[in-house]
Amino acid sequence: MATADDQAQQWFGADGQVSQLRGAIFRYSCLGATLLALTLVFVFLLYVANDAFQPATASTGWLLTVAATVVLPAVVLAAYFYFRDTRAGEVAYISFGLPIASTLLAGGALIVFNEIVTPHGWFALVAAIGAAYVVIELYVRKRRAVASALEQFAVRVGVPILAIVGIPGFGVDRTISTPLLGQELFHLSVSVPTLVPSLRGLILSLPVLPMDSVALLLSFTLPLAGVAAIRIRRVRETDRDALVAAGAVVAAAGLGLVAAPFVGVSAMTWVVVSTVLVVPIGLYVESVFRNGEGIAGLAFPVVVGTGALLAFVVVETLGFTGPDLWLDWNFLTESHSRTPRDAGIYPALVGSIMILIVVAIMAFPVGLGAAIYLEEYAPNQGLAGKLVELIEINIANLAGVPSVVYGVLGLALFVRGIGLRPGIVIVGGLTIGLLILPIVIVSAQEAIRAVPDSLRQASYGMGATRWQTVRNVVLPRAAPGIFTGTILAFGRAIGETAPLLMIGIAAVVRVSPNSFFGLTGAMPRQIFTWSRLIATDFRYGVLAAGVVTLLVVMLMMNGTAIVLRNKYQRQD
Amino acid sequence: MTDNQSGRLVDTVSRRKFLASSGAMGAVAVAGCSETDSDDTGNGGSEDLSGEVRITGSSTVFPVSDAMAERFMDEYPHVNVTTDSTGSGGGFENHFCPGDSDINGASRPVKDEELSQCDENGVTPIEMQVAGDALTMAVSPENDWVDCMSYDEMAQIWGENGAEMWSDVNSDWPDEPFDLYGPDTTSGTYDWFSENVNGGGHTDQHEGTEDDNIILEALQQNPYAMGYFGFAYYAENEDRVKAVEVKENEGDDCVAPSLDAASEGDYPMARPLFIYPSEEALEREEVRTFVEFYIENTSADWIGSDVGYVPANDDLVQENLDKI
Repeated sequence: MATADDQAQQWFGADGQVSQLRGAIFRYSCLGATLLALTLVFVFLLYVANDAFQPATASTGWLLTVAATVVLPAVVLAAYFYFRDTRAGEVAYISFGLPIASTLLAGGALIVFNEIVTPHGWFALVAAIGAAYVVIELYVRKRRAVASALEQFAVRVGVPILAIVGIPGFGVDRTISTPLLGQELFHLSVSVPTLVPSLRGLILSLPVLPMDSVALLLSFTLPLAGVAAIRIRRVRETDRDALVAAGAVVAAAGLGLVAAPFVGVSAMTWVVVSTVLVVPIGLYVESVFRNGEGIAGLAFPVVVGTGALLAFVVVETLGFTGPDLWLDWNFLTESHSRTPRDAGIYPALVGSIMILIVVAIMAFPVGLGAAIYLEEYAPNQGLAGKLVELIEINIANLAGVPSVVYGVLGLALFVRGIGLRPGIVIVGGLTIGLLILPIVIVSAQEAIRAVPDSLRQASYGMGATRWQTVRNVVLPRAAPGIFTGTILAFGRAIGETAPLLMIGIAAVVRVSPNSFFGLTGAMPRQIFTWSRLIATDFRYGVLAAGVVTLLVVMLMMNGTAIVLRNKYQRQD
Repeated sequence: MTDNQSGRLVDTVSRRKFLASSGAMGAVAVAGCSETDSDDTGNGGSEDLSGEVRITGSSTVFPVSDAMAERFMDEYPHVNVTTDSTGSGGGFENHFCPGDSDINGASRPVKDEELSQCDENGVTPIEMQVAGDALTMAVSPENDWVDCMSYDEMAQIWGENGAEMWSDVNSDWPDEPFDLYGPDTTSGTYDWFSENVNGGGHTDQHEGTEDDNIILEALQQNPYAMGYFGFAYYAENEDRVKAVEVKENEGDDCVAPSLDAASEGDYPMARPLFIYPSEEALEREEVRTFVEFYIENTSADWIGSDVGYVPANDDLVQENLDKI
């Protein structure tokens, strides 16, 4: 910088002047691009949020009350932290966001236990996994010195399978025909009854099982309390504190068995919600006090919470009318209705979550496997190397194929080909899984490629095999990149609409799918439906509420990606 | 050194175990959930009735079917009735005839080639007229030169190789090009209009869309735009567009679109709406119950007030019930 107008040191040229104009133009056009992009997104979000929450419909009294009790104290406190106590500001930021994120997470957990796995199913699953763990642990202690690698492997894989799946029976009833001409060859019809029932199945078939709430207390709260206890023991290095932490979690959840009816929620809801809320918040508050920095920041959520409570009391007693919300509790818990005010998104939300579970189970292992092979094992020289290069280019191109094409592919492959019914969860999940597979592969490849080669060479130099190198050196270093890329791809997956249209996800589904083979709705599909209904209330109010819900779910997922990335980066 | 190494080994073992068990858990979570059977086809009792009914087809019939589904599911909460709007033709070809959906809505009678496609797949559609619609020809609210049109004039605009300028049809009209919006070619409305008003063909110079809101918005933006859609969309947006009165022949009276005029037979562009349950699906208890419920309610008043269509009369209801 100094050289530009420093005439004394003319090392760059004879005339001693350099034009800064081009640089300035470039800089400001970059700034312009940034501002334009941000403004466009921000204006859109503001527009949608305004439609969903309609703040203008609230009475002045309501707005003033909320401003005085919630907004003003929050702004004052935030300004204080910003100017006086930055560390406390960070604490305030996290301690305010954490309860909100935990509440959303608790909602997700409740949906899982209400719609996807029954509490008893979960209880049996956890019990079976626990039993398998104990068996393997005992086996390792007794036999590890003498058993062959194959035997150890068989036990480690076989015991969990026996515990969770058993050896299921199977039935085939299909006419085998030649692939192209379609001539019938023979009819295959075999059915084998269940050979060995799984431990999970046995537990489920017990005549007496604990109540839903108790089952979850044992199989959901206890393991999470254990995790909290382990964490506390690691940082505080006393068993007593760990026990206190675990005890507090279990007590908070267990209180629900007695207290829930008085509050007006089911005991199961209490157990799940309190567990998901208490564990992360408790751990965070503990860490703040242990570090002893910025404790004042914890006051922020308390002030905002108290303010909100105060606002509620004032509004109720003085009878101010609040804003005419589209996105309210009713919207989140009801299904679509022809009356805009009664319409909700719940079945579509559940459907989207279940589709995403299928996407994750399908796309992540396949995509990661392909990426590892292509980066670490695939030949890179000679004819085979050229072939691999061609495949890689094609995968990158596949990532850019329009999503509606994947819809047609899914229809041809899973509905017309395999013969699954259109419009069910698994077809939706597999189709969208195909759609994001190239993105997962490419992002995982990038992450693996970013691991410095010197690390691999060092590992080989110490005598490690290729497998050991990949497992112990490459994958841990690549994990944050892989997670970030994958979760961002899932974020795209949850918003995809066109493939869902092609594979026959119906416009309106009023019941959440009760299995992965059940008919399902999906949030983007439902939003698309609302955009085409006659009543304007649907196209502005209800649609906006749906968009905000979808955005919040995506925000949660992207937030998870950031948290995971930060966690792993810190470990490096 | 040895201590260190064994510690490392234990570490790997536990992580591998974790990976194996969590992987298995994920796989089993799917398997475990899929065991809860969804395909209970129900047996008898009105409250216990469960199962799935899939409706596809015309976007014009969609509001009726969706209202029926909502009312039906209030009574039978365990029957999952899903409604989709795919266009009459799209529904027959892609969903109903391949046997994927149980009922197809249509705003025109089923075509012969569709019947043969259904037949190949062992699907037998049963025709039931469930409601009537007054197809509405609409222009921009700024359009002050057209109040009434005959079939002949509409055919000149909307028929094959239709007129390009307003003045081509009537010299009193402005010398401006048409901006035409209508339903997609997969739509039954398109087929009905081609068949009954144009006498066969249909211009390909129009913007075809399954979304009637697009037509409405276009009509508001361009004073020379023109489009047609079901009466329900007009009823909801009466102040935003101008409906053209219609006469079949030059000598007839002009009639404005309305449900009354359509049900009394005065409005020429009144058309029947159908649903086609398949005979095979009707063997399932939940589909039969739903179709009975549907037919019995087609004469209800709310079809007119809530959905914006002409309800069926009692004779038609009885005739349909006899078909089941």
